[in-house]
Amino acid sequence: MIAKRIIPLFLLKGKRLVKGTQFNGPFVDVGDPLSQAMIYDAQGAEEIAVVDIEATSQNRCINTDVINTMIRKCRLPISAGGGISTLEHANSCFAAGADKIIVNTSAVTNPSFVKELGKEFGAQSVVVSVDFKREGDKVFPVTHSGTKPVDRDLEELLLELVEAGAGEIILTSVDREGTLSGADLDVYKSLTGKISVPLIASGGLGSYDDMVELFKSSDCSACALGKMLVLRDYDIVRIKAYLTGRKIPVRDA
Amino acid sequence: MKIGVINISIGNVGSVVEAFNYLRHDAAPVSDPGKLDKFDLLVLAGVGNFSTAMGKLKEFGFADALKKQVAAGKPLLGICLGMQLFADQGLEDGTTEGFGWIPGSVEKIKESTEKVPHMGWNNVTTSDKVLFAGVDESAFYFMHSYHFDVANSDDVIATVNYGDSRLIAAVRKDNVYGVQFHPEKSQGDGLRFLKNLLESLA
Repeated sequence: MIAKRIIPLFLLKGKRLVKGTQFNGPFVDVGDPLSQAMIYDAQGAEEIAVVDIEATSQNRCINTDVINTMIRKCRLPISAGGGISTLEHANSCFAAGADKIIVNTSAVTNPSFVKELGKEFGAQSVVVSVDFKREGDKVFPVTHSGTKPVDRDLEELLLELVEAGAGEIILTSVDREGTLSGADLDVYKSLTGKISVPLIASGGLGSYDDMVELFKSSDCSACALGKMLVLRDYDIVRIKAYLTGRKIPVRDA
Repeated sequence: MKIGVINISIGNVGSVVEAFNYLRHDAAPVSDPGKLDKFDLLVLAGVGNFSTAMGKLKEFGFADALKKQVAAGKPLLGICLGMQLFADQGLEDGTTEGFGWIPGSVEKIKESTEKVPHMGWNNVTTSDKVLFAGVDESAFYFMHSYHFDVANSDDVIATVNYGDSRLIAAVRKDNVYGVQFHPEKSQGDGLRFLKNLLESLA
């Protein structure tokens, strides 16, 4: 059986990693991308995702030198995103060594871009990242780092993105991000059995049991971890030991 | 051992080169098909589309050069799409002729109980105690929507279970070796596989 993946999610600001809350500052410096990547590689992370959080607003794509230094020293898959809005951007990430690219705003606002990327690079290399917010019972997608609501049904949007050629979906709760208050389980539960590509839950995971609940109650293939890893006393070795004890299939590394 | 990693910009040549260099072998990307003679092992790595990759190999003159090298007995390792190109044909975007070193065709993974792409770390099953010495039950990193349906089971050296399907994880025929997983992305176990391969060739 394929193991559930644990994916440290790095937020890049300039040349440093940072962590905030609900997509906002204040951002705390949490280290150097290369040294952090080497640490999680050694701990047995399944992948690393790195996203430049200023790229879209500055009209550029992620700094590919950062990707390249990580790729050279690490022996695990690395996906990269932030501001990727053209095939050239995507090409520069792959040329720097990224295994997958992550597209967010440009995919949600223009699903045909996903189609283009899938055709050029293969669906398995294209990760679409979708952010959502909740107001009471209502959940809705947002773009531009959580600032712009999108008037679409979340599930319908996800299905359209899969149809367009997304190889994986990272689905992030903006409200939970950086809060360590647990994932928005209702959303992942409601999508179980509906998304034909791997779904990665992101936002809010803050304890071992948050992860157990996520994997027991949904069919998510992976989870992205941020604050829990970089600002709390957790590591991937102990997380996996706990998940194994609770019968969640994880890789023994 | 001198290792040449074919560079036709279809994926991550850098990681493969770095993995071999980490094992203290002399690996380099090779962009000139006329220089393949200089290497003891050739590596064809790549992700993406079967027909695009085959087209690029022809365009850059690597298709014929590789056929000559393989016919002369030079060891060749294919990784992911690189391995799939060993097939008779690929069925992504119509039918494209492959190298035909290992009979079979490359087709889309059937969506059954599991999601497609087959993405992540999965354990292999193998009876090959040389190439998989010490890692014969290990998990390696897979990332693919198409799989190699190999015609002769003698050519298969490792498989991987995914849902109801048993997919090909590794093939070997004479001097041609292929892996569906990414050893260069599979941490210590991936390096061990590459080390085993290099030692078996030494």
